[in-house]
Amino acid sequence: MTHRPRTSGINASLWRTRLVSAAQFVFPFLVIGISWELVARTGLVSQASLPSPSQILQKFWELSVGDGLLWRHLGQSLYRLSIGYVLAMTSGLIFGSILAMNRIVREMFSPILSLLISVPTIAWVPVFLITLGLGDRTVIAAVFLGGFFAITYNTVRGIEMVDVNKIRAAQTMGARGPRLFASVLLPASSVSVITGLRLGIGYSWRALVGGEMLSAMVRWGIGKMIYQARFWNDVSVMFVGLLMIGLTGFLLDRLFIRWLERVTIERWGMVPER
Amino acid sequence: MRARSWILPVLLVASFLALWEFAAHLKWINVSLFASPSVIVRSLVKLHTRRLPEQSILLTHIGASLQRVFVAASIGTVAGVVMGVLMGASRIIYRFFDPIITILMPIPGIAQAPLFIVWLGFGDPTIITIGAIAAFFPIAFNTAAGVRSIDPQIVRAARIMGVSRAGSFARIYMPSAAGHIMAGIKLGWARCWRTVIAVEFVAAASWGLGYMIWDASEYIRSGVVYGGILLLMIVYFLIERLLLDSIERVTVRRWGMIQS
Repeated sequence: MTHRPRTSGINASLWRTRLVSAAQFVFPFLVIGISWELVARTGLVSQASLPSPSQILQKFWELSVGDGLLWRHLGQSLYRLSIGYVLAMTSGLIFGSILAMNRIVREMFSPILSLLISVPTIAWVPVFLITLGLGDRTVIAAVFLGGFFAITYNTVRGIEMVDVNKIRAAQTMGARGPRLFASVLLPASSVSVITGLRLGIGYSWRALVGGEMLSAMVRWGIGKMIYQARFWNDVSVMFVGLLMIGLTGFLLDRLFIRWLERVTIERWGMVPER
Repeated sequence: MRARSWILPVLLVASFLALWEFAAHLKWINVSLFASPSVIVRSLVKLHTRRLPEQSILLTHIGASLQRVFVAASIGTVAGVVMGVLMGASRIIYRFFDPIITILMPIPGIAQAPLFIVWLGFGDPTIITIGAIAAFFPIAFNTAAGVRSIDPQIVRAARIMGVSRAGSFARIYMPSAAGHIMAGIKLGWARCWRTVIAVEFVAAASWGLGYMIWDASEYIRSGVVYGGILLLMIVYFLIERLLLDSIERVTVRRWGMIQS
């Protein structure tokens, strides 16, 4: 590919806008961090119950660079998340498609589905603890359930909302069954499907943290890290864990879902590029 | 047509429950892990009647959870609407708090529990605080979106016609954003309910539906665990139908802001 200076000029201004928006994003955290640090330095609040940002950063350094425990916790969490989420994604897409394509199945299951959705995912954890044991399987089941309902629900909605004329046109041109599904229904419903995947990964991530906290046999995981810190009243570790949960949840959305959007609905021109 | 749409799902659930009951009676499944439907109902009834003259244990659990949800969600609603209006009205405030909300909102309530237990101890203060935080975020977010979507021309027109700055909030911002605010309140209350139940697992001292389910699971009383989940469905259904829908009916729907 030939390199043209004009594109690099556009790129430079694009990078400048990105830099400005990144700075705008970080700025409030800096303000709060600095004022928090100043309040902590005055000694008005006990350090044990509210450590200063510098102490939290120091703890973060110890856990991440020092002994690397943080990465082991995070790695275990991401491992469970990926298994549970992939299961939720495949079964949610398949089940959602079946529900959307078949009216009788939909009439049978959709009231049951909306009843089950109303139960908080975390409330199933005790059931899994009884039936699946106190280890990894319970956590993965919670992750699965967290993502499954959102993905199923949005897949059904997406396929139902596909323009009937599009389906008729495809049918006239001879597309039926799996072919109609793969080349018309799925692409046409992908905006809603991706909404489901986005909600799903958020729910899965939250369910994961709760599941890890409640499963007694689980040793590693970011949720477990926070839970264990309670026994030493180590508030800095809790803050590190909470920030990692927020940040990882944010990054999962920004990296994974944004990538998915870029290679599908944005490329197909279904939504404006961001 | 309306009646027919209920036949299939009811039939499905009924046959599933019958099969479950049947399998439990024939000992195909481990009944101490999968309590049969009749055992579930019986253990709920027992929980209700055991100490009946003085108190019903079951209703006390439900009442404790509901009380926490109402207090927490009310605090979260007021704080969320105030914050949302501020964020919607001022660009600077919006720019400042939007990143903070984006990062803090995905943190689940149960993960905040250890921190608040250190600060506030076990029981109501911790549960209500985390519940209020959970309700706060979606309400603030939606209120801000609603206020930001108001056409500035309308505000200008009203100001020219002599509405004061404070008056424009009551007369323009709040009614125009009401649809968004209501959507936020629905999300926020649902989130608050889920969070309160979850935090009760780890932070409740002795009462609450979450505590009831958790306590039963530790002693493998599976009848109470499944019964508790059934109650969660019923209570949430009632909150949504009786409370939120009726609030919606007397406000935004009557004002014609959303389609009924």
